[in-house]
Amino acid sequence: MKALPRLLMATALAATPALFPAAVAAEDLIVGFTLDADTLDPANHRKRETETIIRNLYDGLLTRDANMLVVPELAESITQISPTEYDFKIRSGVKFHDGSTLTAEDVKFTLDRITVENAMGGQTSPRQGLMGPVASVDVTAPDTVRITLKEPWPILPAMLPNQQIVSKAFVESVGNEGLATQVNGTGPFKLVEWRKGDAIIMERFDDYYGGAADIPPVDKACVDRVIFKIIPESASRVAALLAGEVHIINELPAFSISQVESNDGTQVMTVNGTRSFFIAMNMEGEHFDDVKVRQAAAMAIDKQLIIDKILGGNAAPIDGILSPDAFGASELPKVGYDPEKAKALLAEAGFPDGIDVTMDTEGAFKDTAEAIASMLTNAGIRTTVMVGEGAQLSDKWRTKGAPKSGDMYFTSWGNGSLDPFDIFTPTHKTNDRGNSAGYANPELDAILDAAAVELDVEKRRAMYRDAEMMINADQPYVYLWVPKDIYGVSKRVTGWQPSADSRINLHDACLN
Amino acid sequence: MSLGKLLERIIQLVPVLLGVSLIVFVMLALTPGDPVQIMVGEQAITAEQEAELRRDLGLDRPLVERFFLFVANAVQFDFGQSYYHGRPVADVIAERLPATIELSLVALIVALATAIPLGVLAAIRKNSIFDRMATVGSLLGVSLPGFWFGILLIMLFAVHLQILPVSGRIGYASEVLTVTGFLLIDTLLAGDIAAFGEALRYLLLPAITLGLPMTAILMRVTRTSMLEVMRQDYITFAEAKGLPRRRVLYRHALKNALIPTVSVAAIETGSLLGGNMIVETVFGWPGLGRLVVESIFLRNYPLVQAAVLLYAVTYVLLNFIADILYTVLNPRVKL
Repeated sequence: MKALPRLLMATALAATPALFPAAVAAEDLIVGFTLDADTLDPANHRKRETETIIRNLYDGLLTRDANMLVVPELAESITQISPTEYDFKIRSGVKFHDGSTLTAEDVKFTLDRITVENAMGGQTSPRQGLMGPVASVDVTAPDTVRITLKEPWPILPAMLPNQQIVSKAFVESVGNEGLATQVNGTGPFKLVEWRKGDAIIMERFDDYYGGAADIPPVDKACVDRVIFKIIPESASRVAALLAGEVHIINELPAFSISQVESNDGTQVMTVNGTRSFFIAMNMEGEHFDDVKVRQAAAMAIDKQLIIDKILGGNAAPIDGILSPDAFGASELPKVGYDPEKAKALLAEAGFPDGIDVTMDTEGAFKDTAEAIASMLTNAGIRTTVMVGEGAQLSDKWRTKGAPKSGDMYFTSWGNGSLDPFDIFTPTHKTNDRGNSAGYANPELDAILDAAAVELDVEKRRAMYRDAEMMINADQPYVYLWVPKDIYGVSKRVTGWQPSADSRINLHDACLN
Repeated sequence: MSLGKLLERIIQLVPVLLGVSLIVFVMLALTPGDPVQIMVGEQAITAEQEAELRRDLGLDRPLVERFFLFVANAVQFDFGQSYYHGRPVADVIAERLPATIELSLVALIVALATAIPLGVLAAIRKNSIFDRMATVGSLLGVSLPGFWFGILLIMLFAVHLQILPVSGRIGYASEVLTVTGFLLIDTLLAGDIAAFGEALRYLLLPAITLGLPMTAILMRVTRTSMLEVMRQDYITFAEAKGLPRRRVLYRHALKNALIPTVSVAAIETGSLLGGNMIVETVFGWPGLGRLVVESIFLRNYPLVQAAVLLYAVTYVLLNFIADILYTVLNPRVKL
């Protein structure tokens, strides 16, 4: 069978670069990215990957700096007039890619398109929920837009970086369907070509206003062109980075870190993520209705060992639901790894011989779930891992108050805004959409409701501290960790750093 | 084949497509996972907003009504809007289909060009070391998982030797005017030989990976069939006449030995479409397979329904072509 490799080699060599030189422009900065954009319409998607791509083409009223602080971008300033009114002064002289000038009318049009029912050709924007209780958007002066809320919603500024501003005239000319594939933004790059499923090619917008004044350098983009090249398979993404075919890759698997670090020309960059991992324990079931059993489960798991051995040290342990970087996060009592005490707690709860349970998880987390299961089993909570598909598990566990089956669910919840409202309420409020444990605590519900509309920052922080202490004691979930986002980056790339909200902002990135 | 037979085949297609549509419809409906919930994900949404979204997607209607609506629209080539792309499903599929067809055809060519010579050689040198190695090789070819073999090729040719690209369809400096969507054809139409070569370089590794299991199967079929033919009286007669061995092999034996190879190849081409899903993921190939897999996970019903229908039509057509080829190659057989 020597002929086959010879034939393969011969075929490959027949098409070597010497005969057909690969045409790669010198200044293309290429990002090996997991998923293609669903659409390029900033108001008609729900995926973070789509937003990551779009935010290099479009800018928003506000954005976040590398430390996740909210700063003005297309807005020059933001003023809170009353608990329910915010004024945004729009920068002057900002150009769209077609050369037209950004006006307050464009901002109103964009926000109406997102918040008003049926405003997108008879459909409602899937991003409406991200804008909270907006009552109206009005142009109050040629350069000022006022957002009026139905009720106080302190996280409006934290949520606004998720919305990008479109040109009213452009949308009216190309229509909603046209906006899915055509771009006229105010962002640092213009769309050159979208090769669906393959790549999104962008080039520098030379009339760019420079971006947020608080994020230097305030200038047009450094590189001529950037390309988001879609490579869904992680092994192939790593290979593309090692081969020099791409310069930045996202979602570098922890097991590939050493490979990227040991390669000459590439390095690993990490940033604290915003997604909390935890195990929901079904409190409607026969075992986990007892807090002692829940505490036993929490004590049975050596979080640090899993972080070190499976996640390559790239995660921060948590003892409540909040990431250490989130608003309101504070030091909490540690549960600690103590399998013997876990066994004793089980016996106290009436299970001296231990219990048999199942733990649901998605295929991607099977290895970690197996490690957790073996630790639980050692402490008498004999756990069988059941792998299911995401949508199916979501149906089973996120029942919004309807009865749920199953014992444990190893899962996670994202908190892109790093505001507790986005994660605490859905996962812990009675019958809320992500409350997989079936936890019901009226006292906590009252605190969460009050904190959601509290405008005094310190009072609000104290409320979330109280809430964290409550769940730390009740343990409806085993709180595990917040993984870092891991990127593989060519050493030729300068001026770029990963951002905790997973945004890959290429405005400042240069290629040596 | 008579016109009547052809019409008969086309009419037979109708119940097949209806059946496939119904099965896919029911299976998707029975699969746990609500498209609206998946779409909303972790975001906050009120009950009214959820009901409205369900209405927008047409999911508030009874299943039977949705099915008949789908069929009524599908006969007019209207497969509805993709839940995620904000555009008609037909457009989204049409953008991705040429890449898949191109990859499948090149994989087929690679498989045929490799399998037939190897199969013939194995038959001629029956029980030799080469034959045994070919047997082991074909077993490996069928059993090696595509994603593993693909990654192996990437590591060798793209990372270590750096002579072929890891992923994609063509470099980004090449601007190809889309005429047919098939890059090999479009680059030639544009007279851009460099871009043609580049497209070929990008195609090689995925085509070899995709074509490998087929190569293995076709090689075994060719070998067996060749051995069978070589035992026939007319071959003995040709050899007895004193014809040169080469002439006996290629003019008399191979021509007849290829009949099963060609018909198996035509049917197996359908399986290339299935294999595409994995190969397209490994090589970042912007084809339909990857899109369908993503859409299944997202319960993007209209896209999955349209794509499965397309696969069904392709399978039926390939079987049809296999039948025709069989009658052409073997005139004793009539449809």
